[in-house]
Amino acid sequence: MSEDQLKKEDTIPFYPDHVKTEFYVVLGVLAVVLIIAIIGLINPVGVGEPADPLNTPAHVKPEWYFLSLYQILKKIPPMVLGIEGKVLGVVIPIILVGIILLWPFLDTKPDKSRKVYWIRMALAFATLVIIIALTIWGEVS
Amino acid sequence: MRFFSLKRLGLVVLLVIAFGLFLFITTHARAFSASSGENSSAVSPPNWAVAELGSLAPNPVVTPPPPKTEPCLSCHILGQNKGLWTPLGRWILFGGLGLVFAFGVYRSASTWVTRSPWKPLNKRAAEWVDDRYQISEPLTKILKKPVPKYATAWFYCLGGITAFLFVVQGITGILLAFYYKPTPEAAYASILFIETQVNFGSSIRAIHHWCANGMIVMCVAHMIRVFVMGAYKRPRELNWVSGVLLLILTLVFGFTGYLLPWDQRAFWATTVGSEIAGAIPAIGDLALIFLRVGWNVSGETLSRFYALHVIIVPLATLAFMFAHFLMIRKQGIAKPL
Repeated sequence: MSEDQLKKEDTIPFYPDHVKTEFYVVLGVLAVVLIIAIIGLINPVGVGEPADPLNTPAHVKPEWYFLSLYQILKKIPPMVLGIEGKVLGVVIPIILVGIILLWPFLDTKPDKSRKVYWIRMALAFATLVIIIALTIWGEVS
Repeated sequence: MRFFSLKRLGLVVLLVIAFGLFLFITTHARAFSASSGENSSAVSPPNWAVAELGSLAPNPVVTPPPPKTEPCLSCHILGQNKGLWTPLGRWILFGGLGLVFAFGVYRSASTWVTRSPWKPLNKRAAEWVDDRYQISEPLTKILKKPVPKYATAWFYCLGGITAFLFVVQGITGILLAFYYKPTPEAAYASILFIETQVNFGSSIRAIHHWCANGMIVMCVAHMIRVFVMGAYKRPRELNWVSGVLLLILTLVFGFTGYLLPWDQRAFWATTVGSEIAGAIPAIGDLALIFLRVGWNVSGETLSRFYALHVIIVPLATLAFMFAHFLMIRKQGIAKPL
């Protein structure tokens, strides 16, 4: 539904009303940024040891947002159904991302009621729990 | 007929006076130190003749003070011998006062000559631009576009926060790029330099580091919101696709930015990460060589990741963001059930 079909009393003008709300949101984010800046002065991000290509550290871990993928790759058995596990661990995430990318073309039925919200919420929640669990597992192991 | 708003003018005058007072207080004590203060504290060479005379005669002859150096009034007014910031402050103060004076003269003369009330400068500027580009009508249309009331709930701001964090990342990234050197010899040292020597360098780096994480979190939160509310359905399919591509680009930002400090963690995380890319069937080796520029992570990899991180990925992100916003603008925000 486009906004042209909305009644006038159901809308607010973009400027200045909506811009004002957005401005307050930006101010809030800036306050957080300021807090981060002060924390950065007290407790800098810092750097580790300088890179040494000849010396592999014992525990190599990627950033937290790649940790779940890395954990899948690490824990997958070497051979699954006659396919090499490593290949499977790379291909499955790529396929999943492809499915997410093309999701609107797979789920084309228009929503009928609010009930689908809860179904999708449960789906998203389950996915999120799996990813967070894998991340924590990767972090502690 | 109101020629000027007394309230605003008074505020401006007060601000100028306050700024002037601040400058005066902070620079005045040192303004005279060159002639008297510092000379008195400096050890003057002992005058042996006077010392000997003093032991003999009751009224010693005091040596005359050294001749004053050539006075330079303009240097004094500009504060050229008083530190780095004083000249700038004085330029701003005196230049601002001069501009205010010139403006007053122009305004008086203009009202006198044209015999009509004065039009404020911003109105003049707007008329000048509009006369040439006819921009005010489309601009009003853009700005007055109605936003549905349901779109003011808190969870509709997640995407906007992501976009704003991207701006924060851009600004802090540019500030870091002023000092960062993308070579294996100098990268680590330049990060250390930023952390320890540059004013507020550790703050800037902390903002860049933590806002990168926050951007990914906000991106995913926005995506979940859109998914749950079914906002990706017809006619907004391409908006979802561009959004997922933006999330992938954000992750690429994270991956390429992680190598730049060139420490052990960065080096080996990139080694492992590009190894994973190398496990893709059929094109794995190509992906690996594309990422590493060779079979090993080296200085070439660092250069490539730097170029990706500061030029290519930001440009791609900007392009997709533009498309994303344009589509939202055209189609409006999806109406929840």
